[in-house]
Amino acid sequence: MKALCSGIALKELVISGELAVDLASAFDASPNPYMLITPEFRYAGMNAAYLAVTGSTRDTLIGKNLFDIFDSGPTEEGRQNSRQLRASFERVLATGKSDHLAVIRYVMPRVLPTGETVMEERYWSATHTPIRDSAGRTAYILQHTNDITELEVLRRQAASRQTESALNVMIGGDILTRAEHVQEDNRRLESERNRLFDIFMQAPGFISVLSGPNHVFQMHNDAYARMVGRDDLVGKSVAEALPEVREQGFIDLLDRVWKTGETFEGRGAPLQLRRHNDGPLETVYIDFVYQPIRDGAGQVVGIFVQGHEVTDTLLAVDRQRLMIDELNHRVKNTLATVQSIAMQTARTHVDPASFAETFQARLMALSHTHDLLTRSHWEGAELRAILEHETEAHGPQRVLLNGPSLALTPATALALGMIFHELATNAAKFGALTVVEGRVLVDWTITATATGRTLNLTWREVDGPAVEAPTRRGFGSRLIERSVRHDLAGNIDLGYPSEGFEAKISIPLDRGDPA
Amino acid sequence: MNAGLNGRRVLIVEDESLVAMLLETILEDMGCIPVGPASTIDEGLAMAGDESALDAALLDVNVAGQQIFPVAEMLRARGVPFVFSTGYGEGGLPDEWRGQTTIQKPFTEAAIRDALMKAMGVVLA
Repeated sequence: MKALCSGIALKELVISGELAVDLASAFDASPNPYMLITPEFRYAGMNAAYLAVTGSTRDTLIGKNLFDIFDSGPTEEGRQNSRQLRASFERVLATGKSDHLAVIRYVMPRVLPTGETVMEERYWSATHTPIRDSAGRTAYILQHTNDITELEVLRRQAASRQTESALNVMIGGDILTRAEHVQEDNRRLESERNRLFDIFMQAPGFISVLSGPNHVFQMHNDAYARMVGRDDLVGKSVAEALPEVREQGFIDLLDRVWKTGETFEGRGAPLQLRRHNDGPLETVYIDFVYQPIRDGAGQVVGIFVQGHEVTDTLLAVDRQRLMIDELNHRVKNTLATVQSIAMQTARTHVDPASFAETFQARLMALSHTHDLLTRSHWEGAELRAILEHETEAHGPQRVLLNGPSLALTPATALALGMIFHELATNAAKFGALTVVEGRVLVDWTITATATGRTLNLTWREVDGPAVEAPTRRGFGSRLIERSVRHDLAGNIDLGYPSEGFEAKISIPLDRGDPA
Repeated sequence: MNAGLNGRRVLIVEDESLVAMLLETILEDMGCIPVGPASTIDEGLAMAGDESALDAALLDVNVAGQQIFPVAEMLRARGVPFVFSTGYGEGGLPDEWRGQTTIQKPFTEAAIRDALMKAMGVVLA
């Protein structure tokens, strides 16, 4: 026991009493070299075989750093081996698991029977095992070594005779070289595996690995846990872990992939999940792939699931489609309106110049109201603003506006815009605004009844030329009458007293106009 | 050329008065007698039910934010041929009405004439 180590470590290794002594003696008597180092690579203990093969004494090693005692020698190969040894220790410390080195080369001092000290190359195969303290931390690393120098020496002898002997093939460089390669490959694969695992865990899309015919979660990444709203999945089947998806066809799809070995790809698939305990079912949309995982013999052993949530994208696409449809509808309607204005104007204005002027003025009236509505994001417009817009061309003092503030819906605003344009045009062509002193008085009030509010508006022309009732109704007056009755569900009275033209308009304001 | 349409009574359901006026003008030019125009679904239903002699109808699909289909159903029940007019295109129609003769806004006179002839021809056949 005392010969093996300083005692602290093995006390924790074994239980107590006789057994401890037996085990410790067995260790010390083992022909295999063993040693124990601390996480700082300081010798904590070693057995007799280790002392014998290293040609050291316990006193020269205990407490010393292994890498100070055993130099790897001056060559690059030595330094490389030294790095491999250190990396192996570090893997044990990082993972808490055993690590193996197939071949490790060390140059060690050896005292010959003559008393002379020589440096000798030795080849080892080593296993490093973590020894935990009562708190579960790795307190020591146990190194178990096999001396494979003889194999190496044989290999060299065979090589030096330059014969490609069976021996060489069997035990020579090939085995060692192969072992070295395997070790190198393992190291590379492990670091690659770690890197892949990191990528896997941090991937923005959801990923999981399902094992066996019941699709048991073997692992999943954070994105998967976030999507399903829980992370107690590993070890459970999909049906157990996500009971709400049982009836949604996904398990049937998994069964099919398991049976046929064919990949399944789904796009924009709705999936209902209960993301919070006792919460409601929420619908998410996913693009996903179920890919069979096969073993070396080609047998399906599991399913690799990956995909991403496309809910936001699909909803945005939906909203956009609706908006485009609505925009298209409005544009086409507006074009039909413009078409109507053009056609009606053409009927009463045969002269191209006169047609162009009237048509443009009507288009501008429509456009002005659009401008006002655009400024309010199509939430509505103020009655006074519409009147000002349509009459300001005739001079601010000539059309007098008098009435309370009133917000109009877009549809009412558009209709009134056209109506006021026609009234003002008419006044400027035939009515009060044809003379300098002529004016228009626009007065309005709002009255409320049980069925809602009504706008009562009077357009009265004064101080103009004597008025005669027209013999035929032009497009303007047809449009005004039609628009009030048809678009606004209101009433209009056109009066032609000789002192001036008069229009009385009443419009219900609260008829649930959707536009 | 307009012989088939001369004197035909055609109901108009259209909420935009300017567009309704355009349809009236075009129909009059073709020798038809415009009926209406109705500017709401309710008015449309009343006219589709009451007008004893209707030869055809031009129906705006979206009337003041409501869909025209109740009026279309009433006309279909009465055996009155009709044409949808829409800014959405035929793709905007629900499956039940897909395939119904449809004209797109803005209109041409020729499109309205052809659509009416087609709709009425189907019934006459």
